[in-house]
Amino acid sequence: MPPSSVTSEFSVERQWRSDRRSPGRWVFSHLWRYKVYILGILIGALGNAGGAAVMPLLVGQAFNAVVAQPPDTAALGLVVVLIVLSQIVRAVLQLGRNFSSEIIGQRIERDARDELYTSLIGKSMSFHDRQSIGDIMARATNDVREVNLLMNPGVNLVVGSAAFLLFPLVIGPRIHPQLVAVPLFYVAAYAVAVAYYLRKLAPATERVRRAFGQMNATLAESIEGIETVKGAAQENREIARFRGVVDAWRAAAVGQGDVESLYLPSLIFGMTMALGLLHSLLLYHAGAISVGDVVAYNGVLMFLQFPTFATQFAYPQVSSGLASARRILELMNAETSLDENKGGYAGAMRGDVTFDRVTFRYGEDERPALQDVTISVKAGQTVAIVGQTGAGKSTLTKMINRIYDVDAGCVCVDGVDVRDWDLDALRRQISTIEQDVFLFSRTIAENIKFGCPDATQAEIEQAAKAAQAHEFILSFKDGYNTIVGERGVTLSGGQRQRIAIARAFLADPRILILDDSTSAIDSATEDLIQRAMFRVAQGRTTFLITHRLSQIRWADLIVVLKQGRVVACGSHEELMRTSKDYRAIFAGDDERPKKSASLSPLSPPDWPREARRMPEVERGE
Amino acid sequence: MFMGLAAEKYDRQYSDRQLLRRMAAYFAPYRGRLIRLACIILSITAIGLVSPLLIARGIDLVGAQPHVGAIVALCAGLLALSVINWVCNLARRRMTVRLIADVIGQMRNDAFRATIHHDMAFFDEFQSGKVIARITNDTQELSQVTVLISDLISQFTILIVLVGVLLTISWPLTLALLAMAPVVVFFGWAFRRVARMVTRSGFRAIAEVNSAIQEAVAGIRVAKTFRQEQAIYDRFKQINRRSYEVNLRRGFVLSNVFPTLNAMAGLGTAVMTYVGGLAAIGGTVSVGAWYLFIISLEQFWFPMTNIASFWSQIQGGLSACERIFALIDAESSVTQIQADASDHVPNARSSAPHSRLKGEIEFKGVHFRYNEQQQVLRDFSLRIAPGESVALVGHTGAGKSSIIKLITRFYEFQGGQILIDGRDIRTFDLTEYRRQLGLVSQSPFLFNDTVMNNIRYARPDLSDDMVEAVARRIGDGEWVAALPNGLWTQVGERGQHLSMGQRQLVALARVLAQRPAIFILDEATASVDPFTEKQIQAALNLILADSTSILIAHRLSTVKSVDRIIVLDRGRIIEEGDHATLMLRGGHYATLYDTYFRHQSADFNAGMYQKLKA
Repeated sequence: MPPSSVTSEFSVERQWRSDRRSPGRWVFSHLWRYKVYILGILIGALGNAGGAAVMPLLVGQAFNAVVAQPPDTAALGLVVVLIVLSQIVRAVLQLGRNFSSEIIGQRIERDARDELYTSLIGKSMSFHDRQSIGDIMARATNDVREVNLLMNPGVNLVVGSAAFLLFPLVIGPRIHPQLVAVPLFYVAAYAVAVAYYLRKLAPATERVRRAFGQMNATLAESIEGIETVKGAAQENREIARFRGVVDAWRAAAVGQGDVESLYLPSLIFGMTMALGLLHSLLLYHAGAISVGDVVAYNGVLMFLQFPTFATQFAYPQVSSGLASARRILELMNAETSLDENKGGYAGAMRGDVTFDRVTFRYGEDERPALQDVTISVKAGQTVAIVGQTGAGKSTLTKMINRIYDVDAGCVCVDGVDVRDWDLDALRRQISTIEQDVFLFSRTIAENIKFGCPDATQAEIEQAAKAAQAHEFILSFKDGYNTIVGERGVTLSGGQRQRIAIARAFLADPRILILDDSTSAIDSATEDLIQRAMFRVAQGRTTFLITHRLSQIRWADLIVVLKQGRVVACGSHEELMRTSKDYRAIFAGDDERPKKSASLSPLSPPDWPREARRMPEVERGE
Repeated sequence: MFMGLAAEKYDRQYSDRQLLRRMAAYFAPYRGRLIRLACIILSITAIGLVSPLLIARGIDLVGAQPHVGAIVALCAGLLALSVINWVCNLARRRMTVRLIADVIGQMRNDAFRATIHHDMAFFDEFQSGKVIARITNDTQELSQVTVLISDLISQFTILIVLVGVLLTISWPLTLALLAMAPVVVFFGWAFRRVARMVTRSGFRAIAEVNSAIQEAVAGIRVAKTFRQEQAIYDRFKQINRRSYEVNLRRGFVLSNVFPTLNAMAGLGTAVMTYVGGLAAIGGTVSVGAWYLFIISLEQFWFPMTNIASFWSQIQGGLSACERIFALIDAESSVTQIQADASDHVPNARSSAPHSRLKGEIEFKGVHFRYNEQQQVLRDFSLRIAPGESVALVGHTGAGKSSIIKLITRFYEFQGGQILIDGRDIRTFDLTEYRRQLGLVSQSPFLFNDTVMNNIRYARPDLSDDMVEAVARRIGDGEWVAALPNGLWTQVGERGQHLSMGQRQLVALARVLAQRPAIFILDEATASVDPFTEKQIQAALNLILADSTSILIAHRLSTVKSVDRIIVLDRGRIIEEGDHATLMLRGGHYATLYDTYFRHQSADFNAGMYQKLKA
């Protein structure tokens, strides 16, 4: 099987490899690993259908015994015993079929999830930024489950019911050669009808699914924004909007119902039964077959009922399973631009960083997030990056540890282009403290030593102390063994941040990226955080994205970004002299025009004159 | 899987009779359709009955050496019946799906309308996810159960009539058939219990796997920067394997159903063959009747096993129904009264304010509590002049947000009076009143639409040009230029494509476009970048100049810019005045400043940095 062409930042050694060229091949390549169980399904399915088919034959024998002159009571008893035995054997075989298919289904689910998971953690950050977590979750949970259901009951029923189609075709002609005609008619008509039905059903189901999703989304928005809705007195508009999506759902649901109601195989089945009775009675009339044969034949035809109705359920299951497989594959086959670059430069890092005319854009058609950025930072310096949201501050730092790769220009660490570094060596020596610090639902200690799993308790505590986190950690009942997150305590932004700083202390990187926009709610906490940040920055090259005015003031170098370009660069004093944008922040704080206390609230200062013009604007004059 | 199934405080018990009566009310408008549907179901029943009789007759014909013409006529009849049967089923299906879609759609609309009119206390108390689940999933479940019930009813009609017919043919054989019923029902019931147990543990294991994936995806950046991919993979693998084992066990248990049922049906056939065969030999029944009993077994088993396995689903449908009605019936505590009538008429349509309000607000001895234990305001009085701007400061729980919730009339107060322009707040038409309120909450909510449409949310009548004019007034529109598509930028779900600062700007622009008489702001605690902060302040200044403003202040620049600061403590005013005066006084405000605002100034910790740097 061909190796997957997608590059990855992470891979595991496996004995198996799936074929990702198409959903069908992918499912099949997973199935093929469990050949033995497929055999089990086939044997079980044939055995089950055979066991079922024996029954009418036996009942037919019973009829012959009863109508015989004189009636043969012993033969009747024998037939009954045979019925019981055959049905027990049948149940056992059916159980074997079900077990086999269950094993395959569960294993496919397990393997597919494993494969998807591995692929997900191997994807680059640019991929993860693009994909919403909700979407990934939907595919990793529901779609993977659907692949299981595709196997069981889907394929299991398809194979099982196919066996039932087979037996009337085989048994009919054994009773009398002509009796192949009606089953043959059924099978042919059935195949055409099912194909037609499925072709109609797929788009109808999809429409219902989409309409239901739309309804849910609209509803969620109105309820989650209820305060805004009520505050703006727009309830009636929301009600009308919701009615619109409910109507759309109704139309879709009715459409699907109409397709389902036109299920031709059940009509074909009814006709088959009538034709079968006619044929067998005519043959009996001509003296070609016995009463028992008539009973047996009509009994065998009854078994077509199973495929008739099972299909209504089994084929849509298979096709929705394949659609899910397609969605999973889409995710796994998505291109990711980075690779591990094993064997690249892997020296000890000093921490010099230079940006040389770096340009980067997130998407082909988007405007550049960074444009022609040139900066030079010496090892050990603290760089404050300031600018409006969307100016490219975070993007700039993400170029350093290759969360993204530049489109033009280059980023060098210690004079080596980051793309020539071994990815592992590069990232190991760079730490990032994110805006929203993410903590795993594990103990605090485990979270702190996340980057260095071998750290001792003493080392962990030392890091926590340096990060000003030790005291609040001890304030919890379980101290360092306190579990955080959903199943444990909830930490405040400031506390999470200090845990992340402790994490960075332990990892002891040469370059530290601090993307910090949480602000402490009170001055005491703020003081602790600032101390922790200052300490962790010592002796490393630090990139600081901060809103804290006092930190900006004291950085060695301040880079002011505006729409992806460096508009000013220098120390605080230099920038106060040279940059209007920069001065606007620091000058304003004391020079803001204050409303004088003596001013009557009803006589606004100068600028609202513009406001008084507003009513005219609104009237559109 | 079990989300939304937990009981909420507003849940109540309805008797089955109440539930049925209310459901009946939803079906009542479609009486004509129901009658037609019933007719169709009866015809299907009749056909379901006649077909096996015809076949049995055919078998009897065999013994009587019939004419070819009789055989052909019999089969033609059977053929015609199967076609009619199919057409009837088609009609039934089409009618059912329309009827149910109409009823469920109506129920969803009712539930939504009722929900959106509940007061804010309701939404504060109950998770939106669970409320949403009631409106969509519970109604969906109800619709499935309705289909199920209608199927069961038609199956049972067939069954009962069939048993009646069989009784007239041979009562001993019929009794033999009926004797099997309890066995099947018991099996179905017992199996259900076991299945439920294994299914639960299966779901739990799946939930664990899902949360492992969720955590990995959410924390992927951390895992990558620390190169811990292998570690989280190993962890996942273990959980995934456990889930496999548990779910395989569940699958094995569930796999037993059909084999067991088939084996039991086989035994049933064996019994019927033997007993019926002996009866046929003895001459008590004809051979055709005997055959009729054997093929009737099939029709007998099917509904029996169904009722056993559908029982819990029907129960589930009834409780879904109960949850929906409870949501619709949840009582609102906020009620408006007639302006001139002295007697309280709840929910009466109150008079609208005649023109734009001046914006004078007065609390007169107001008592307010969220619940019995938690008295927030006691005999609280405060007057805010038209056009005045007031900042509320104080520790958590001081009563700041309660004051706001009362002015917006999101909550009901228990005593005293709140006057707006001298008029009792309870006498306003709420919609008209709220049109004159501009509200920006701590995390401003944006609709998944363009920035443009979000700004004019409260004023859908504004043209594009007018909205643009409003946006430009804030800091020369520089913030709009920073948006990727300007005013046409899609903000994404809940505004997630925009930064917190940008969301606040949009929310403020929304208020600016609305030009409310009263402006209420619960300021965000998260800090924004200094540039955006500048623009937020500019927007704020524009609004403060135009409206009476009540702000819960978290930013230093906000407290500095208002006319009056009100310091609250446990629901009382303990200090008021402007920033400079209160700082000079060195009282409560000065302490609060030291705790909450000092660090926001540029010179905070200047000493520390200087010392540590040296």
